[in-house]
Amino acid sequence: MTSTETTAVGVDPAILSFIYLEARLADEARYSEWEALWDDDGLYWVPMSPDADPARDLSYIYDNRRRIRSRIAQLNTGARHSQTPPSKLRRLLTNTELLDRDAETVTVGSNFVLYEYRYQMTVWAGRVIHRVRLAETGPRLVAKTVHLVNAGGPVPTLAFLL
Amino acid sequence: MTELETRARDLVRPDRIHGSVYTDPAVFELELERIYREGWVFVAHESEVPEPGDYVTRRIGREPVIVSRGKDGEVHVLANRCAHRGNRLCNAERGNSTTFRCPYHGWTFKNDGALVAVPMRGGYADEFLAKRSELGLAPAPRMDSYRGFVFASLAPEGISLREHLGRATGAIDRLLALSPDGRLDLRAGWMKHHHFSNWKMVIENNVDGYHALFTHQSVYEAVREAKVSHVPSKVEVYVRDLGNGHSEIDYLPEYSRLDEEFVWFGRAPRTKLPRYVEAMEQAHGKEDTHRAFVVGPPHTMIFPNLFLAEMNIMFVEPLAPGETIAYTTPALIPGMDEMNSRMLRRTEGAMGPAGFLIADDGEIGARNQMGLAATRPEWILLARGATTDQTDETGIVNHDKSSETPQRGLWQHWASVLDGE
Repeated sequence: MTSTETTAVGVDPAILSFIYLEARLADEARYSEWEALWDDDGLYWVPMSPDADPARDLSYIYDNRRRIRSRIAQLNTGARHSQTPPSKLRRLLTNTELLDRDAETVTVGSNFVLYEYRYQMTVWAGRVIHRVRLAETGPRLVAKTVHLVNAGGPVPTLAFLL
Repeated sequence: MTELETRARDLVRPDRIHGSVYTDPAVFELELERIYREGWVFVAHESEVPEPGDYVTRRIGREPVIVSRGKDGEVHVLANRCAHRGNRLCNAERGNSTTFRCPYHGWTFKNDGALVAVPMRGGYADEFLAKRSELGLAPAPRMDSYRGFVFASLAPEGISLREHLGRATGAIDRLLALSPDGRLDLRAGWMKHHHFSNWKMVIENNVDGYHALFTHQSVYEAVREAKVSHVPSKVEVYVRDLGNGHSEIDYLPEYSRLDEEFVWFGRAPRTKLPRYVEAMEQAHGKEDTHRAFVVGPPHTMIFPNLFLAEMNIMFVEPLAPGETIAYTTPALIPGMDEMNSRMLRRTEGAMGPAGFLIADDGEIGARNQMGLAATRPEWILLARGATTDQTDETGIVNHDKSSETPQRGLWQHWASVLDGE
């Protein structure tokens, strides 16, 4: 994430399409469709600092695949009051760079700005790292890490999909 | 000094409170004075500053303070304000330093507050320099601790911390009974959750045994059943006003009836926690260890700002009548990694801005604050269980967990503090 190397290799349009789809499903509160993007070993992580170690440090969100399922199930009840009705959301993903790739996965980093409207406008921003597995059936999300610029807090309720 | 148009006592009746207690700026200012300045307030835990030089920065009410451990090993609570021109001296949340140097004019203070260097001292008269020892950082007029929990008061006079804590020391003891050596480690980081509701709404909700089935319906419906039923008639869970504004939901009777270990910890079996079980049995013996695992941690609010949320610690900081920051971290047990990794994940699951529970408490609190913009009816009802409260040596107890006994206790104390009784 702090690397100063740049890569001449562009980000595969299929990967870009995939992370844009992920963003749109989250924005539109299409919870089950969003969940279906995840692979079985998925990890959704929102740390409280850039150098956090989840073995030692508390995170805002550290969802393994099972907890991602629970989070979506809770949202789907319609009784998750902090998202009933869902916040109006739109996010911009930009500056997407290829960070790493191996035979199986591609990791890309992007900056984002997210506008949340719920009683009032709240602006969220940060860096998002997507690790995507290139499965035969199409891309699958393996890891999504969100470094909020205001991770140091205080942060308001963030019960939507970041 | 802020004045109310009426006495606080007139805003609190045995079974109801006036809606303005959450919204009136004059009430808020008086609370900062009487409760957060003159009273005892939780500021930090000793485990956050384990070594000489360690410090954390906090606020007591609106006042920034440094909580530091000096070379002598003592914990100090100091105004975070340069004694020269008032610059906020320490701008990190935590760290280790033997001195704090003001970036404005270079005045330098030891981490116990003593002024140690004034640059270009020739510009000062000898009489001024002779009084240098009086120009240290202002210590909190009173500070004291109970078993690692550090409290301070910004008033030089008042009741002792032990008098203030009263029966609430039992809740801290109950938590520490789950640590083999009676120590905790509160260094996993504090979630800082910005709530758009009054600080008292946050703390009284923590000991509200009535809301769970409604506010948290989505968790029990979609994720997992509650650890024990939230239907009052099905469980022996009590609520209790401990006096001095402290109150709790007490699961002990139900857990004792079940005589089952770790109901409060996702019903984790002993086999998943072998090192912890061994350390506990070595320290406390088999029988007391079993008992501690059955009894579990407290669910106790210590007035005004500390909440022992089972294996989490929460404290609140009032910002404005309708804004509060809630700080939350897990109560880790030193060296017990198998416990602590579970605890981290459990805290993230339940607590903070994205937590399965607290995000919804935050939303309901914000709507509560919005609802109170309607000034009629004037009163908020806290009558539930008022005729079935019982007084015993533990406080005022109600065997129906949905009784508003904790809230009644909080408000009676609140009124007496605000009126200076």
